[in-house]
Formats: sequence, structure tokens, C-alpha cells
Amino acid sequence: MFIFLLQTLLASLTPPWRWRNLIKQIHFIGMRSLFVIALTSIFAGMVLALQGFYTLSRFGSEALLGPAVALSMIRELGPVLSGLMITGRAGSAMAAELGIMRIREQIDALEVMGVPPIHFLAVPRFLAGIIVLPLLTSIFDVIGILGGYLVAVQLLGLSSGTYFGGIEAAVAMHDIHTGLIKALCFGIVITWVCSFKGYFARRGAEGVSHATTSAVVLSSVLILVSDYFLTAIML
Amino acid sequence: MAPPPSPDHPSPQLLGQRFLKAGCITQPQLDDALAAQSSPLSTGPDNLIGRILVRLGYLSPPQLRACLVELFTEECRYYRDHPPSSPPILAMRNVEKRLDGRMVLNGIDLEIPRHCITAIIGVSGGGKSVTLKHLIGLMRPDRGQISIDGENLQSLSAKKLQAVRRRFSLLFQGGALFDSLNVYDNVAFPLRETTPIPEHEIRPRVLQALSEVNLAGMDAKFPDELSGGMSKRVALARALVTQPEVILLDEPTAGLDPIIENSIHHLICDTFMRTKTTMVIISHAVPAIFHWCHHVIVLHQGKVRASGPALAVWESSDPVIRQFIHGELDGPIRVL
Ligand SMILES: Nc1ncnc2c1ncn2[C@@H]1O[C@H](COP(=O)(O)OP(=O)(O)OP(=O)(O)O)[C@@H](O)[C@H]1O
Ligand SMILES: [Mg+2]
Repeated sequence: MFIFLLQTLLASLTPPWRWRNLIKQIHFIGMRSLFVIALTSIFAGMVLALQGFYTLSRFGSEALLGPAVALSMIRELGPVLSGLMITGRAGSAMAAELGIMRIREQIDALEVMGVPPIHFLAVPRFLAGIIVLPLLTSIFDVIGILGGYLVAVQLLGLSSGTYFGGIEAAVAMHDIHTGLIKALCFGIVITWVCSFKGYFARRGAEGVSHATTSAVVLSSVLILVSDYFLTAIML
Repeated sequence: MAPPPSPDHPSPQLLGQRFLKAGCITQPQLDDALAAQSSPLSTGPDNLIGRILVRLGYLSPPQLRACLVELFTEECRYYRDHPPSSPPILAMRNVEKRLDGRMVLNGIDLEIPRHCITAIIGVSGGGKSVTLKHLIGLMRPDRGQISIDGENLQSLSAKKLQAVRRRFSLLFQGGALFDSLNVYDNVAFPLRETTPIPEHEIRPRVLQALSEVNLAGMDAKFPDELSGGMSKRVALARALVTQPEVILLDEPTAGLDPIIENSIHHLICDTFMRTKTTMVIISHAVPAIFHWCHHVIVLHQGKVRASGPALAVWESSDPVIRQFIHGELDGPIRVL
């Protein structure tokens, strides 16, 4: 599995560059996930504001609601939830697509034609993951904070100055970097695990479904595990 | 009748000349056909000399086929009496492969002669497709050696192997078309990805390849909209379009009606006569395939049972081979 990652990394650095494939994958992973990301992020932000308000009001510090929402969004929930959603939406499809190509001998056909399949199939997905995840995460963060605003200001009556002023004062560049680096790592994890599982799928339809399931499970677990270590390193 | 020129020296006009020598056509007719072939107007489909002769009305399709068969039989006879002197392009030495605990290849020794059509026949499940995959390095043998052009396949670096493979093309038994691409893009794929040919030259080649397999006008369809036989023919077009040095075909005629089967054999023969491309064909079209190849290899129980000129194998007295050729139920091969 690590060999596969190394091969993909190596192949990403060698021409020819397949721009069309890359753009197709960015479209597939990014554009087509926008709606899901928007939907999850707005509700994540709303529930965060609700819970935060409830907790903070016990200590009389409702004014900290903005920073609480924004920081948990930017540092944790944004990258992790986007990662999990993309795994479910694009990662599973990636594993299934490559798995079908494998069992129908299409990957063998590429190899026989002298087109390196890793270069042709894995690299565009890998690069697209690296590019798209930080972007989707930023969108997730922004919409999530707006969701928090809806609940905090419109519903619970916090002043919008308190909400946004608190965010502006509390969020540092470092927090944003942390979130984006996490997103980048999750992009690598998702495309790596899902391509790998699909690429080495075995034995018919059952093999493909097995590959898809285990790709989603492994990728989700790896996201949470690596999230812990990334947090520990970058805190 | 004069023996055919050495197969080692292909010439594009060979086929027409040989039609002439065989008395199928006259000199003025050949001149007409060659002029039509080289005229810039005929760059499109149906540019094969045989088809041009048919189009000009000098030969009827059955006559053309009869001529081709006759020329081919003559070549086979020549092949039987004059074993090729050049070293084989592909060779397997004592190759063994175990799959799922079953010995599928059990010490295969074979040689694929250059500039010839070789047929591999044998019972279903006998390891023919597995053998073909070994020849091109898709599967690694447990033991034994495979050489391409005298070079040991296992010791080639990835880069060299890739270069070698671009001289080959393989038609998979299942077709292996890319289902995200339409028919046109599937056939154009190897040209776009492995050659520097510009797009405006790819187009006529792809259209010609499609019309040669009787699929003109199907270029916008997707693989899941095709019948089994149609996708097979698209895959065949994809294998032929790059004009490789060696073509490996895994059952090019399986699942086709007898008319199309015949036209595919005709196409293969015609392609061979024009280009002298080395071809390996796995086929169940026994006995028809014996008319369409020089060399036959019979696989039986993971071993090469017989390997030799088609005419010699045809006359073999080995009971296994006799049973296989005639499709009898009684005999050394247990069916039930
Ligand atoms: N990838 C594989 N894994 C395990 N066993 C395999 C694999 N491929 C083929 N086999 C086994 O190897 C044997 C030979 O298969 P192969 O496909 O070469 O047969 P074949 O001679 O091409 O038959 P057919 O004429 O029906 O195509 C079969 O018994 C098959 O079960
Ligand atoms: Mg087979």
C-alpha cells in the first residue's frame, strides 16, 4: 500500500501531464460535492452554535460563542467533516470505478498498450484530491460560520457585532493554516486509500463491493486517526 | 506455381501481384486497382486491395475469398516445406503457473514464428488466455522463462517493458473497452496515448479501422450500448489501429455470426497479406482456423501437445488432436 503511494507520488512528478483527466477529476470530486458540503456545513455550524450557546450560557460567557464556533470549524470540523463527506461521496465512487476497470481487464488493457495505469488513473485523482480538499474545506468553514450566525444572531439574539467581532479577534492565521494542512493530508489519504482499494479489487462484483466498503471504512478511520496526530503535532 | 516471396520481406503490393500470378485478375485490372488504392481520394475506408477489386467489379466477394484462401494455402504449404530461419519473436521455456492451487500451465514450451499467423487451440479452460497473458507480461510465471525478441521478459525494466509493449497489441477475450469512452475514443485511445500522431490524422485511421470491422457509423455509441459481438469488433479495431509489430488476438471471432466471422478472418488475412504482421490467434473456430494460419499450437492439460505448420497438425495422427479437430465426444479427452 505504501509502495502504491510512492509510485503515485513518483508518477505525479513525471510527464506527460494529463490536464483533461485532472480537470475531470477536480470537477468530479469538487464541483459535484459542493451541494453536500454546503448542506452539511450549514447544519454543523447551526448545531455548534446551539450547543455552544447552551454550554457557554451556563458560565455566562455567551459572547465567546463566535470564536467557539469559528475555531472548532476551522481547526477541526471543517477538514474532518469535509474529509468524511468526500470519502462517502467521491471516495466510494472512485474505488468502485477503478474496481470495475480492474475486473473488466481495462487496467490490464492500459498496461498492455504501454500506458502506465498508475500514471493514467491514480495520479489525476491524487492531484485532484490535494487541490480540491483545502478548497472544499474553506467553503465548509465559511458556510459553517454563517450557519452559526443564523442560530446565534437570528435565533438566539446575540448581536452580530459580538459574533463576528469575537471571531475576528480570536482566529489567528495559524488556525487557518492548521485547518488547511489537515485538509490537504485528508485529500491524500482519501485518494490514496480509495484508489488503492479499487485498483487492486478482486473477483467480480463482490470484490468491487468489498473494495468500496473497505475503502470508505479505512479512509474514514485513517482521517480520524491522522487528525489526532496532526492536531498533536501542530497544536 | 512460383513459391511466394520470403515472408521476411513484406511489400505492400505483394497481395495484388499474387492475385495476378494466381490468375485471379489480369494486369490491367490490377493496375486500375493499384491506381485507385494510391489515389488521394481513396484515403477513407475500404482501402484494401481486395475490397477495391470487388468494388471495381473485377472479383466477386466469393471469388476474392477463394483467391485469398488459395494464396494462403499456398503460403501454408510453403511454410510447411520451408521452416522459417529467423529466430522466433516470442518464446516460452518450461513455463509453469499455478492459479488457485491448480496447475494451469504445466511446463509450456512454445515458439511464435515471425511474420506468420499462429493459432493456439485447445479445450475451453485449458489455459490459452493465461498463456497469452504470460507472453505479454501481464502474468508472471512461477517458473520458467519468457523471451520477447530474444530478451528475457522478467529481467526487463519497467520502462523497457513499456517500450516493448507498444510494439504489441492485445485483443482481450472480454474486449476490455473503456466504458467511460465512446467507440470512437476507444479506438483512438492507443493512438492518442502512445503515438505522437496529430488528431487530424487519427480521425481517418479510426474511421477506417471501424469500417474494416463493419462498424462504420457506430462511433458515437458507448460500450454498454453495443452487443457482445459488436464490442468484440470494436476491440479488434482498437488492436489493429496502431499497426503494431505483433498482434495477439484472444478469440477474435467468438460470439459472432458465421458471416461476420468469415469477414473477420478475411480482415485478419488481408491485414496479414498487406503488412506481414506477426499474429497470434486463440480460436475455437476449428476447423476454419486451419485455413487462416500458418502455424498451429495445440494446448492440452497445461502442456503443448503439438506445434507445427497448420497442414502438418491437420494431418496429425495424435488421437487427442484428431478428436479435437473433429469435435468427437468419444476419445481421449473426457467431456462428461
Ligand atoms: N485470474 C485467475 N485466477 C485464478 N484462476 C484463473 C485465473 N485466470 C484463469 N484461471 C483459471 O485458469 C484456467 C485456464 O483459464 P484460461 O482463461 O486460460 O482458459 P482458456 O483456455 O482461455 O479457455 P476459453 O477457451 O474458455 O477462453 C481456468 O481453469 C481458470 O479457472
Ligand atoms: Mg480464453
